[in-house]
Amino acid sequence: MTVNLKRSSPGGAQEPGRRSMLGLLTGAGLAGSGLLGVISNLVFIKPRATYGQPQRFTIGKPDDFPTGSRVALQAQKICVVREGDKLAAVSTVCTHLGCTVGLSETGFACPCHGSRFDHDGVVTGGPAPKPLPWYKVTLAPNGEIEVDKDTEVPSGSYLSL
Amino acid sequence: MSADTRNRSGLAGALRDLPRNVWNSIFRNPVPSNDVERSATTFTNFFLHIHPVKVHPNSLRPIYTMGLGLISFFLFLILVLTGIALMFYYVPATSQAYDRMLDLRGSVAFGTILRNMHRWAAHGMVAVVFLHMCRVFFTGAYKKPREFNWVLGVVLFLVTLLLSFTGYLLPWDQLAFWAITVGAAIAGYAPVVGKEIQFLLMGGNAVGQEALLRFYVLHVAVLPAVMTVLVAVHFWRIRKDGGLSRPPEAEIKPDLEVTRPPAVLDPKRTYGLQGLVRGPLTRVGDLPDNELYSWPHLFRAELFVLVVTVSVILLLSLAFNAPLEEPVNALHPPNPAKAPWYFLGLQEMVSYSAFWGGIGVPGIFVLLLLLTPYLDRNPKGVGKWFAKERLLANTVFLTFVVVNVIFVIIGTFFRGPNWAFVTPW
Ligand code: HEM
Ligand code: FES
Repeated sequence: MTVNLKRSSPGGAQEPGRRSMLGLLTGAGLAGSGLLGVISNLVFIKPRATYGQPQRFTIGKPDDFPTGSRVALQAQKICVVREGDKLAAVSTVCTHLGCTVGLSETGFACPCHGSRFDHDGVVTGGPAPKPLPWYKVTLAPNGEIEVDKDTEVPSGSYLSL
Repeated sequence: MSADTRNRSGLAGALRDLPRNVWNSIFRNPVPSNDVERSATTFTNFFLHIHPVKVHPNSLRPIYTMGLGLISFFLFLILVLTGIALMFYYVPATSQAYDRMLDLRGSVAFGTILRNMHRWAAHGMVAVVFLHMCRVFFTGAYKKPREFNWVLGVVLFLVTLLLSFTGYLLPWDQLAFWAITVGAAIAGYAPVVGKEIQFLLMGGNAVGQEALLRFYVLHVAVLPAVMTVLVAVHFWRIRKDGGLSRPPEAEIKPDLEVTRPPAVLDPKRTYGLQGLVRGPLTRVGDLPDNELYSWPHLFRAELFVLVVTVSVILLLSLAFNAPLEEPVNALHPPNPAKAPWYFLGLQEMVSYSAFWGGIGVPGIFVLLLLLTPYLDRNPKGVGKWFAKERLLANTVFLTFVVVNVIFVIIGTFFRGPNWAFVTPW
């Protein structure tokens, strides 16, 4: 049996330029295809449409929320706050790890790890790192209140009716 | 060596020889009765050939490995088999999943025992893989040349956790729903890509149908495939790294021409290709060889571990039912919402700081684990439990293990409603 024990240099003896060029192109082609593969898989796995609860929805007329009331809408995971002529929507998703907070005397309380928030959603205790976000509220032409959970507004910004 | 192959003549003869000929076409060797047959059987049987023909007695000492790697593998086998059976009745839809759990309990033959076995083997696998990692550490078995197999092991441990985590959601009960809500939110704390990962994992903004489908696909297809490939490489590396680690004094010293480099091969001789790669394997003279034949020593031990593992899981499954809580109510988290037990240490840390507890500290731990064999370059103390030469390394690792266990115990038993401290008695 004859066995070649010499280490072949990447370019080879003859035509070194051409060989290493081909090797380089092959490598670049494979790496490029690999990268494209990874990117297209990431694009594929990211849903374009989300199902379930929409991010923009209407919640009824202003009259449904008497002044001074705080109404938690469970499916939409918001709390509608009405004070006089002003109305706002505060998230009821705990900023710690996403449990649904309940209404309490002093604001909001999370059952999962005990975070507490005041009426404006500012953290007053527990591990939650951020205040509860407020969402943009507008009045649709037909007089219904529309909430847009994709747009956060600074806390304390009410919609004047 | 080969069995009697003289055939009778004619059709009648062919029929009478049929059983023997079929048998001999499947099994190339008779049941071994001498050393050559023992070697031949190990070499030529597909399921046995991943084993060496002979093993070092140290590898067979029960207290050395405690069989923990093997038990991990057998638990994985149980999980694959019972998991495939469960797939015949499970539907990954939010409207059906929970009812299917009730069906398994009520109307599917052997449904309860299958589900119990799958659940207890899953819990067991997390624990046993962790113990196996501890065994490898405390015996210094990750040292050169086994560094990379340790790294593979760390990845295997992570895949085991991911398999458990994705399976946890599938019953679609309160426990599952809130554990995954909390778990996915922890991923959301990763810097830069956290929110993106959380969104990809859940396939939306909250845990719902998309999340259930994604977790199902990961749990029954993607992760088991990854696990299978990695386990295969893990096993292959054990062989190529020279079998299991053992104390240096137990090493056979091949003072003959076993590892001469290829360059000085004698040009007038003929070598096999394997000999060129690993050095000619001819051993001449009196080599101290106290190794034992795998058949029957190793195979008997493996069979014993298999029988014990399956029996324990069966007995547990007959005695205890896998839990099933109320169906999902996305509006009312249970109080407290707890992750699976092996993540409760994590959740305990998360209750102090979501970033550091959920991402920072665990990330550093995993990185340290991956780098362990490259950081600890002290070559001494391989092949012995708690070797004196490894006092520092073992103390550091033991501290890490004990702290983890304490956090898990606090999270499991000492946390009540609102994650307030409670005493279990
Ligand atoms: C799915 C999980 C795993 C399976 C099925 C598995 C299986 C095995 C088996 C059967 C062995 C033979 C020796 C024994 O039984 O102890 C072994 C050895 C080994 N495992 Fe694992 N293992 C797993 C995870 C891990 C983990 C998490 C680590 C470490 C981070 C690891 C590192 C090693 C090393 C370094 C060896 C060689 C030990 C020696 O030479 O003494 N494995 N594994
Ligand atoms: S999720 Fe609300 S405190 Fe942890």
